[in-house]
Amino acid sequence: MTPKAPAIAMQNVDLSLGSGAARVHILRGVTLEVAEGVAVGLVGPSGSGKSTLLMVAAGLERPNSGSVQVAGQELTGLPEDALARFRGQRIGIVFQAFHLIPTLTAEENVAIPLELAGVPDAFLRARAELEAVGLGARRNHYPGQLSGGEQQRVAIARALAPRPTILVADEPTGNLDEATGRDIINLLFALKRERGTTLLLVTHDMGLAALCDRVIRLKAGRIEEETALRGVA
Amino acid sequence: MMHMSPAALPSPQQGGSIRRLALMLRLVWREVPQSFGAFSILIACIALGVGAIMAVITLSRALEDGLIREGRVILGADAAFTLVQREASAEEKAALMRQGQVSQLIQARGMARSLGDDAVLVEIKAVDAAYPVAGSLVMAGETGPETRPLATLLAQDAQGRHGIVVDPILLGRLNIRIGDALRIGDGVYAVTATLTSEPDKLSGGLGFGPRVLMSAAGISTTGLLQPGSLTRFTYRLALQPGADEATLERALAEIAKAVPDAGWQIGTRLRASPNLQRQIAQFTQFLALVGLTALLVGGVGIANAVQAFADKQVLRIATLKSLGASRRFVFASSLLQVCAFALIGISIGLGLGLLLPRLAVGFAGDLLPFALDIRFHAQEALVGLLYGLSTTLTFALWPLLRARSIEASSLFRDDPAAPAWRGKLPDYALMALAILAFVLVVLLSASNQRIAGYYLLAASLALLTLRLVASGVMRLARAVPHPKMPVLRLALANLHRPGSLTPSVVLSLGLGLTLLVALSLIDLNLTRQFRAALPGIAPSFFFIDIPAREMDRFEAFLKEQSPAATIERVPQLRGRILSVKGVPASDLKGVERVSWVLDGDRGITYAQTPPEGSSIASGAWWGAEYRGKPLVSFAKDVAEGLGLKVGDEISVNVLGRIITAEIANLREVRWQRLGINFVMVFSPNTFAGAPFTYLATMALPASATPEMELKLAQALGKAFPAISAVRVKDALNAVDAIVSQLSLAIRVSSGIALLASILVLGAALAASARARQREAVILKTLGATRATLLKSMLVEYAALGGIAVVFGLVCGAAGAKLVVSGLMNLDFTWPLLPSLSIAILAFITTIILGLSGTWHILGQKPAPYLRHA
Repeated sequence: MTPKAPAIAMQNVDLSLGSGAARVHILRGVTLEVAEGVAVGLVGPSGSGKSTLLMVAAGLERPNSGSVQVAGQELTGLPEDALARFRGQRIGIVFQAFHLIPTLTAEENVAIPLELAGVPDAFLRARAELEAVGLGARRNHYPGQLSGGEQQRVAIARALAPRPTILVADEPTGNLDEATGRDIINLLFALKRERGTTLLLVTHDMGLAALCDRVIRLKAGRIEEETALRGVA
Repeated sequence: MMHMSPAALPSPQQGGSIRRLALMLRLVWREVPQSFGAFSILIACIALGVGAIMAVITLSRALEDGLIREGRVILGADAAFTLVQREASAEEKAALMRQGQVSQLIQARGMARSLGDDAVLVEIKAVDAAYPVAGSLVMAGETGPETRPLATLLAQDAQGRHGIVVDPILLGRLNIRIGDALRIGDGVYAVTATLTSEPDKLSGGLGFGPRVLMSAAGISTTGLLQPGSLTRFTYRLALQPGADEATLERALAEIAKAVPDAGWQIGTRLRASPNLQRQIAQFTQFLALVGLTALLVGGVGIANAVQAFADKQVLRIATLKSLGASRRFVFASSLLQVCAFALIGISIGLGLGLLLPRLAVGFAGDLLPFALDIRFHAQEALVGLLYGLSTTLTFALWPLLRARSIEASSLFRDDPAAPAWRGKLPDYALMALAILAFVLVVLLSASNQRIAGYYLLAASLALLTLRLVASGVMRLARAVPHPKMPVLRLALANLHRPGSLTPSVVLSLGLGLTLLVALSLIDLNLTRQFRAALPGIAPSFFFIDIPAREMDRFEAFLKEQSPAATIERVPQLRGRILSVKGVPASDLKGVERVSWVLDGDRGITYAQTPPEGSSIASGAWWGAEYRGKPLVSFAKDVAEGLGLKVGDEISVNVLGRIITAEIANLREVRWQRLGINFVMVFSPNTFAGAPFTYLATMALPASATPEMELKLAQALGKAFPAISAVRVKDALNAVDAIVSQLSLAIRVSSGIALLASILVLGAALAASARARQREAVILKTLGATRATLLKSMLVEYAALGGIAVVFGLVCGAAGAKLVVSGLMNLDFTWPLLPSLSIAILAFITTIILGLSGTWHILGQKPAPYLRHA
């Protein structure tokens, strides 16, 4: 039986930012494979490169060298607009600061990636996603009218609406209180399990990291340690 | 590591473009109310610029339409045929009368004297029973409107005096009333009424004195109608009512066929007052350039506003990109939003374009003899729309293209900002297209494309220079070693840091000040020329229409009155240029600058030697005994305008004779000395036997007082009643009044450009306020006092204001010199005090505006800002 292809495959990824004396080597020779449906927690001290690694996986940063494949697609050579299109349909992103468009309703926010992809029933699907996160009744509310937890739920619905291959989350509970953060994490993992989405999660919370299938510890731009918590690669 | 065949890239779905467009429109629609405050300056800048341009276009159109609509009234008929120094022959009159009703008008100048000794030069108009053929003459009697027919008012009274209707100014000047008697030339007349409004006043051109209306019989008793005197005989032709242009053209053709050699100057109702039309065109051209400056200065505000908008949109753009939006989507939605606000500004500008002319008419409408119909024209609104959109695109494209490069990864940064961006070739091509569109709109809508083109070039150079100056200042500020004083260090850092005010202030204030300084210096130089320089060098009197046989006696009389006076005299005739190098005057192209010389008849003379106040630039003067073919000396500046050189031929009509003369030389003429000089001076043999009069000047010694001048004028009036004397001071006063009105218009219009500068400056300050607030709060937290912050801001704004002022002074003076010396051929001076006043005022304004924009920041408490940072 042919082994399934990884959802994320990085080979010898190097990334430096800045120029001259201000140039900083963020990622050094990172090699990583994440199978489909696996949840990976990225941990490490500040400046270790966690968020940058996340951005590389999401196609938001291009490495200086190395290969990055997501769902079998090599990202490093893709033109910017093609990358944006790919990202909109294959990669869902959940931000710490939610980043909802304040002038659009919850339903409209969720529908954005679908509309950008030209999906015909964008609003129907958006409504369904909001129902799935428990906010069906708030679909016509603007972000300013929602609590932090509710805004993050909308952001999760938006990230999952295009049925992406991978979901990346950067400190998704960073702006939330403990109880709300727990609810959000439970929701995130439940939906991930339900849809078989691969999850890449950056967190400072070791308790949250422990919920993942694997934990990768970064230090000074390198993978220092990998721990398989639930026997997956 | 496993490799698998890559998943097929998701391709845009069918119908996706429409859905993306719907999303784009929804985003823009929702953002508009939120962004109104941010775009208020953009709206104001566009509204001001478009409003200024549209006001000029609307006013110009209303004036032109008025002249055409009222052409028949202004001209006094459908067509007018004018002869100078002779009446039409019977054959010529018959040719006219075959086409319609003909009314004769005789115009001359003379001296009107009260029965005391006061004398005033008057413009006499002798009319026949048919006057006025078009329009209505409104007169006033002693107690109210005069309702008696004109023929009754102009008839002879029991004492044999012909009645005259006069300009009310004349009553004041001579201290007389209706019913009193007046002497004009050799005749005595009774004032029967005053003129309230004259329908054909404009067609007579600028006059030197008040108007007097009399009958044809009345003018014959003045003794002014002598052979060679400067009398104009005008025959006004009224066609059948409702006659269209084709009928008019046919009538003119038949008259030309019947009397081809009449040599008369023909005016039609379509060009009733060429002089006024030319002046309107020049004035509106000037106003259009001022409006264009306001638009260009406003463009800097547009660029600032869009940049500030783009800076605030970083997160929104990054979010959209993270969700799959392409750069094109991001760019298009931002552009759409900017254009939506631009359209709001354009709409307001179009409204201003209708309102401002109405206000102008309300203030000064009585200067014109016809009502102006200010109305909306779709074609002009389209021009306004194109102006507004092309300006917006020219100045907004660059910051929008830059915003397109915002990366989605900005969402992961603590202080997301637009990245440094240089642009690629397609971006520059798009910018070039936008600029080209703007240039085309300006050139195609300009009444004088050459001037508009030069102006655009000059303005572009000024903008580019200012940008380079701003960059230079920033580099210098960056390179200067850090001063020890914190105040100076802060100020210096603010001059060159990212988001610095330096480019905005230098560009907007620099351009506005350049225009203000240039216009002020032009105004000052013109005023100085008329009020200070000219009276010192100009003669005291001009005497016109001196009969040849009286000249010697007249000169002797003048010498007797003032032995120390300098008297000059030249023979004078009137002639009209018919053709230049064989090309009829009406067919000449590219002569707009000197077209006035082809309009109507000119004074011409002949002389054995070159006139005083001129020098031969090329060619040679004829010998004292020259008797060959007619030669002419032409004023060099006019010759160049007509494309003439030594050896070329011109034809002129003098007293019905066509004279063809060869240009023997070109003269440099110092017109500003107001001495006797003519565009054309012929060799003496040219007019042998032709009747002529003399023109003379008298320059009294510097010790002469105004009372002596008046006494002389009174004595002259008694001894030589038929000779007209123009007191130069009176003429200069009349011109001065016009120049004063012009100066007012210049100042008002330059104020518009300055207002645009201040708007842009205010916008730049507002845009930087947020960053300054944060900075001020952090500095206060670290121990900076309000006084320190205030001083550093003072130094910063003083530096910026100083740079803009220096640039404005230097470039404004250069521009003014170009206009005054290069175009007007006057001496240019740079008066220090007025220039310094402008400089100081602008300097203080910059500082006040800058401080008022940031004053409230100093009082803010740090905690709220630090809590939300």
